[in-house]
This record gives sequence, structure tokens and C-alpha cells, in this order.
Amino acid sequence: MRTADELIRIYIRDLKAALKGADKATIQDALADAEEHLRTALESENNEEKAESEAVQAIINEYGEVEEIAQAYKNWEVSLPPALASTPAARRVAATANGDNPAAKKYPGFFGIFADPKAWGGLVFMLISLVTGTLYFTWAVTGLSVSLGLMILIFGVPIAIIFLLSFRGIAFLEGRLVEALLGERMPRRASFTDSSLSWKERLKILLTGKATWLSIIYMILMLPLGVIYFTVMVTLISVSVSFMATPIGAIVMMAKDIPFDIFSSGDLVWTLSDPAGFLVTLLIAVLGFLIGTCTMHIARWIGKVHGKFAKALLVSD
Amino acid sequence: MVELQETHKKFQKELSSGTVSLALLSILAQSKEPLYGYQIGKLVGAGDDEGVMVKQGAIYPVLRSLEGQGLLSSEREMSDSGPPRKYYQATETGQKALETWTLIWTETKTFVDNVLEGDYQ
Repeated sequence: MRTADELIRIYIRDLKAALKGADKATIQDALADAEEHLRTALESENNEEKAESEAVQAIINEYGEVEEIAQAYKNWEVSLPPALASTPAARRVAATANGDNPAAKKYPGFFGIFADPKAWGGLVFMLISLVTGTLYFTWAVTGLSVSLGLMILIFGVPIAIIFLLSFRGIAFLEGRLVEALLGERMPRRASFTDSSLSWKERLKILLTGKATWLSIIYMILMLPLGVIYFTVMVTLISVSVSFMATPIGAIVMMAKDIPFDIFSSGDLVWTLSDPAGFLVTLLIAVLGFLIGTCTMHIARWIGKVHGKFAKALLVSD
Repeated sequence: MVELQETHKKFQKELSSGTVSLALLSILAQSKEPLYGYQIGKLVGAGDDEGVMVKQGAIYPVLRSLEGQGLLSSEREMSDSGPPRKYYQATETGQKALETWTLIWTETKTFVDNVLEGDYQ
């Protein structure tokens, strides 16, 4: 006779198997939902008359067959809003559902990037990653060193546990940020710890689990990444904006009669008041606009790559 | 006979995909306090086994979908015993959507009823 706990674990395992091929985050959500439901149900319906394992069997029957539930989650994944839909299949279905041609749904052309929320999301993410990266790095390094330093004392252990738990929490929050800004599907809720396990077992999972250490690696890597992202973006944006402002600067300087040679090579000198000189400033402005557009493309591309990177480190199987 | 069973199942599934969303939104809009998945499942699954439109496990993806559309909001709370629970509540947008959805439902129902009774001409 299997215990109630074993039955629930078997169900979860089967559900995971049935969800094979779905998005990692969807699987994590589905398993968390099932676990929450089955354990809450067992808690609420645990009467003396029935054996616990019988009660669980009834609860599982009411919850639904593994295949049926897995299918329900797969359908849900496909119906995510198009802006956030992360799998190509989901985007196609969402586009068809809106009556749009999937090819036309993509923001068209080189300049269409300015209408793409993912590019703006990537831009914002890269700009704030200096702050978040610094915070994550500081917290991770402080946590690790304080924990290690105090490990020889008895109260070092609970402090280490609190830090490790906080890393998991931060990893979850960063996941929400990544999904909101970069559109990469991340878990909607923190991963679930099995309440039937003893605190020793839970501690073992916390210490030896891949998720904890990958989160710490991510937090540490976010400092250099954040600095690079921020620097690259601020540089590109300022170059682009200042180039675009060149004609305005030229007009102001002309109005104030400040002489300025925009171009000089040997005997050939174009001052600002020359039509050719002013044309050059216009060309610089166009170049600035092109750099700005490229910046948006870069932001979208880095956002996409970073989303994949965050998912690899922050979402565990 | 087995094939006919499959057909029934398919029909039921297709029919329930929209109605379950309506039912869940309505339950949460009427409820004075936020509810968690298991409670909602009990409300939906009340009645005998034959009458159950949807398996309890299948309501969770629908809840997430409604939340994704901004019709529901959710909050996680620790429980005294057992795992933390995710409490759902209808948002203002959800309340408004429900009014329209109810209208669509009423129209659909009238239409189908009329067709079934044969006086649709």
C-alpha cells in the first residue's frame, strides 16, 4: 500500500512526464499548481473514515487525469498574449487568433523596431541592470562571505540558510522582471518545497540543489553584465542623440555668429553658414538617427539573449 | 461505441473552453473575499460526477490565463498548515468584462435554445 505522499509524488512525476516538450516555466507552474491543490485538498478532506491513501486517490481523480491536465496547460501556453508569447508556435497561434497574418504581425522593416515593445523593454532592462546588477552582486558576495565567515560559530548556520533562501527569492523576482521587460516566459510563482519533507531534507535540497548555486552565479555575473549593458546603452544613446542635435546646434551657433568650421581639408573650408556645411550637419543627424535605430535593434537582440541566459540559470528543471 | 464516446468528449471539451472562463470569472466576481484554487475547484465541481464540466486540475491554467488578461489578480499567502496558497480575486476590468460576457452568454443561450426547439426561422 502506497502512502498518500507517495501517490502525490507519483502523480507529479507523471504530470511532468506528460508535459514533456512544453515550456520549462509552464511545467514548473503546472507542477506547483498540482502540488498546492493535492496537498491542500488532502489537508482539508482528511477525515478519519477513509484511509489517507484512498482519500488521495479520490482527490487525484477529481483533479483529473495526467494527460488531460497536461493538455490544458499546453493549450494555455499557446493562448498567451502575443507580446509575451515566447514560443514560435504560440506566437503563430496568437497571430492567427487575432486574424492577422503571422508574417505581418512582426514589426516590419528596419525602422519598425521603434514600435516593438521588446526593443523598449530590452532598453529599459539594460539601463536598470546597472542598479539591479550591483545590488545582486553586493547581496550575493556579502551573503556568501558573511555566511562562510560565521560558519565556525553556531549562529553562522541559520544566517547562511537565510541568505541562501533570499537568493532563491531574488532569483524569482528577477525572473518576473525578465518576463515583464524581455518577454521571456519565466515561472509565475516560486518553486515549491515539498512540505512533507523534514527540515533536514529541505536543507539538503537548498544546499545541494542546482537552483541555489546557479542563482548565485547569475547574481554575481549581473554586476559585469549590468555595467557593460549600461555603458553600451548610454554611450550609444548619447552619441545618437547628440548627432541628431547637430543641426540645432548649428542653427544656434549661426544665430549667435559663432564661427565654426564644420569641415576643412587644405584650402577647402565649409563653415556652418555655407549651405554645404549645413548639409553636413544634416547628414550627421541622419547618421545619429541610424545609430539610434541600430541601438534599438541591439537592445532587442541583447534582451532576447539575456532572457535565454536568465532562463538557463534561474529556472531549474 | 467507443468512438462515439470520444466524440462526446471532444464536444464537451470544445464547449467548456469558453464557459469555464465565464464560470470562474463569475464565481470570483461574486465572491466577497479572495478564493484559492482548491476552494474554487470545490465550487465548480459541486454536484455529482456526471454534471462536472471541468476537472479541478484544469481550472488552474484557466485562472492563470484570466490573470494574464488582467481580469483577475492574485496574491500568495502562507497557510497555517500545508503549502502556501494563491488567492484569486476579480479586478475591476474583470467585473466589467463579466457584464459583457454575461450578455454574450445570454445571447448564445437564447440562440442555441431556439435552434434546438426548432423555432429559429
